[in-house]
Amino acid sequence: MSKVVGIDLGTTNSLVAYVKDGVPIVIRDKSGDGLVPSVVSVAENGAVHVGREAQRRLLIDAQRTAYSVKRFMGKGREDVQNEAEHFPFGVSGEAGGVVRIGLGDREFTPPEISAFILRELKRRAEEHFAEHREVDNEVDRAVITVPAYFNDAQRTATRDAGRIAGLEVLRIINEPTAASLAYGLDKRHTGIIAVYDLGGGTFDISILRVEDGVFQVLSTNGDTHLGGDDIDVLLMDRVLSDVASGSSRTSEAVQEIRKAVIQAKVDLSERDETTLNGKRLTRAEFEAIIKPIVDRTLEPCRQALADAGLQPSQIDEVVLVGGSTRIPLVRRKVEELFGKTPHSELNPDEVVALGAAVQADILITGNRDMLLLDVTPLSLGIETMGGVMSKIILRNSTIPATGSEMFTTAVDNQTAVDIHVLQGERELVADNRSLARFKLRGIPPMPAGLPRVQVQFQIDANGILSVTAREERTDVEQTIEVKPSYGLTDEEVERMLVDSFEHAEADFAARLLIEARNEAESVMAATEKSLRSPDFSEIDKTDLAPGERQKIESVLAGLKMVLNSNDRETIQKWTHALNDVTQHLAEVMMNRSVHAALSGKNVNEM
Amino acid sequence: MARSADFFSFLGLPRKLNLDMADLEQRYRALSRQFHPDYFYNAPAAERRASLEQSSYLNDAYRTLRDPIRRLEYLLTLEEGAAERGEGAPAKRDRGAGAPGVNKVPPALLEEVFALNEELDEVREMRAGGAPADQLKGRLERARLPIDAKRADHEAELQELSTRWDAALDRGAPDEERRAILQSLRERFLERNYIANLLAGIERELSL
Repeated sequence: MSKVVGIDLGTTNSLVAYVKDGVPIVIRDKSGDGLVPSVVSVAENGAVHVGREAQRRLLIDAQRTAYSVKRFMGKGREDVQNEAEHFPFGVSGEAGGVVRIGLGDREFTPPEISAFILRELKRRAEEHFAEHREVDNEVDRAVITVPAYFNDAQRTATRDAGRIAGLEVLRIINEPTAASLAYGLDKRHTGIIAVYDLGGGTFDISILRVEDGVFQVLSTNGDTHLGGDDIDVLLMDRVLSDVASGSSRTSEAVQEIRKAVIQAKVDLSERDETTLNGKRLTRAEFEAIIKPIVDRTLEPCRQALADAGLQPSQIDEVVLVGGSTRIPLVRRKVEELFGKTPHSELNPDEVVALGAAVQADILITGNRDMLLLDVTPLSLGIETMGGVMSKIILRNSTIPATGSEMFTTAVDNQTAVDIHVLQGERELVADNRSLARFKLRGIPPMPAGLPRVQVQFQIDANGILSVTAREERTDVEQTIEVKPSYGLTDEEVERMLVDSFEHAEADFAARLLIEARNEAESVMAATEKSLRSPDFSEIDKTDLAPGERQKIESVLAGLKMVLNSNDRETIQKWTHALNDVTQHLAEVMMNRSVHAALSGKNVNEM
Repeated sequence: MARSADFFSFLGLPRKLNLDMADLEQRYRALSRQFHPDYFYNAPAAERRASLEQSSYLNDAYRTLRDPIRRLEYLLTLEEGAAERGEGAPAKRDRGAGAPGVNKVPPALLEEVFALNEELDEVREMRAGGAPADQLKGRLERARLPIDAKRADHEAELQELSTRWDAALDRGAPDEERRAILQSLRERFLERNYIANLLAGIERELSL
């Protein structure tokens, strides 16, 4: 059986976790790092770098490097006009179409960039399972988290990213709800919980009731454009206003400043002052700068409380999620609002991925101990006469949910009805999010007002909407193709999946070559160290066979010659050869150090 | 299939207006554990579809029954059939405006509505004439006092009628008696909605 994982696809960092023997675990790299920076860089030679390496490349090749792409998921070109200038990479796309991100001479949609990150997480998990000698280490299914306040287009874009990465997306779940699952796991508490989740790019507040292992979301609210990134932009504006504008302000220089700003922000969570761009910055000054951002999180909290019909005093526990909740001002404001000290026992960066892993495990095992009952964050409806939105499913309805509304024709013998699907809370169509438009055709000619067109909405457990329409008098049901306003069609996703396989092959080859070189370099370094050892001449005389040293030296020289070629197999062949010819020497060295240690001689003297 | 049942029987409850909320929650959680799509991920397509339908229906039932006003509205619809709600010419309607009786002043409210409309007309004239906001606010606040009082009366009457309905159900009262209670409930309910709209109208004036 292949493995299932939970993935937190974050604005700033992403993580992958899985459940082992009933306990969720974050999968880490060799240095113990669980975070994969959500950064993708496409080098001039076409190689794609993801994570730390891509983050480094932001400082040397900024225009070929994309970060915070989550902000563009499910968006149209018009939606992101104002913030595109903050990014070093190109942001384009046709009017009314999906955003495109330009890296060098290639263009990607946000789901494709996200798919690179997902593929890196998939690879990391597969490596982990291989190392731990799991029976089957293929990872082809995942639960992926999204901000609770993500709309339908953003959720669909996330699911598309999973498909492009070759993952079957078992479920899209909300980040604060996932966090509550991770918290509820070991504490088994009952009561009303508020989850305050301030990440790199998004803010969510969810109020849940936990009882009998059922995690029932009562209400949710938020802002999908509010997070640590906004704090960084404010601080950068401050620094940039000090720096002379002009030629020195390259993309890379701006990224250096961004890095310094983030470091200063992190410092000020621990200390009262730091330096930024050579100037002193106190925590009080920092708090004055970011206060407007933090204050913007409070209104959604009040709205969520009102929607749940609760007073702040009725909240039993407050849980903090997301890296930005490390900021002391954020903690103070949350504590003030709810009147109690928030929880932060679990790492706020990791708790969402852990919850996603738990949910993945529930789906696969069918274990009924725990159940998540989530809600749809925004009302869904359709356009009616006069440009008014008629709501069919109200916000904070528990999902899955259905709703329907009856419509008719406006003119005699009208045979088609335009149906415009909307998401949002405002009265007027223009103030809400347009999700899709479609035409219900084949209505038999009748006087105006006579046809009865029933439009039915179904939100599934992923929070994703499907729409059907039926003319009741003739009982003609229409198969409706909902064309996503800012999404990808199935054909586009399929094509991107194929493209990614083709590129993945090139990316994979590049990675294998790098790994082969690294392996060769470490064997060479070990050999050279032995040859330079002060004891070597004695070993050569007493322990090595005649000609053994010469053989080692010649294979070492041979490996050096091929090291910089692009021929992975040759490099590997020579690496294995060097391993073989030095095996005896390594054993001798090992025995001598053991012997020395036993006889009281310091091993370091060897 | 779920569609043949009604919300009350789906949750195993009598058609009462006073429900034990803790009991409702507990039933909702138990049925969620039975039907939720999370537990049917590996099931055949037909079972997955059934799980989606049943849990959607369950969520709709729970959402309706946990709110006293929606519960009452649903009961009225259920007992009277679809006649009151969806009848008439099929028109593109949005909710509220299409709800029964909203545009017709209930007889019991004629006096209050008449007085309020006069007051609102005067306030609009004063506003057009440039009267200070404080003065307008004071008049509007006064104008809503009798409406607020009416609303309080209605809440109490609705509660009393609800209790009578539940008792009639318990002792298996004759249809005639039950229909009479329902008729009163319907009138109070429509008046209540009308009052809610009036108050919303005053709020709108206040926010101008």
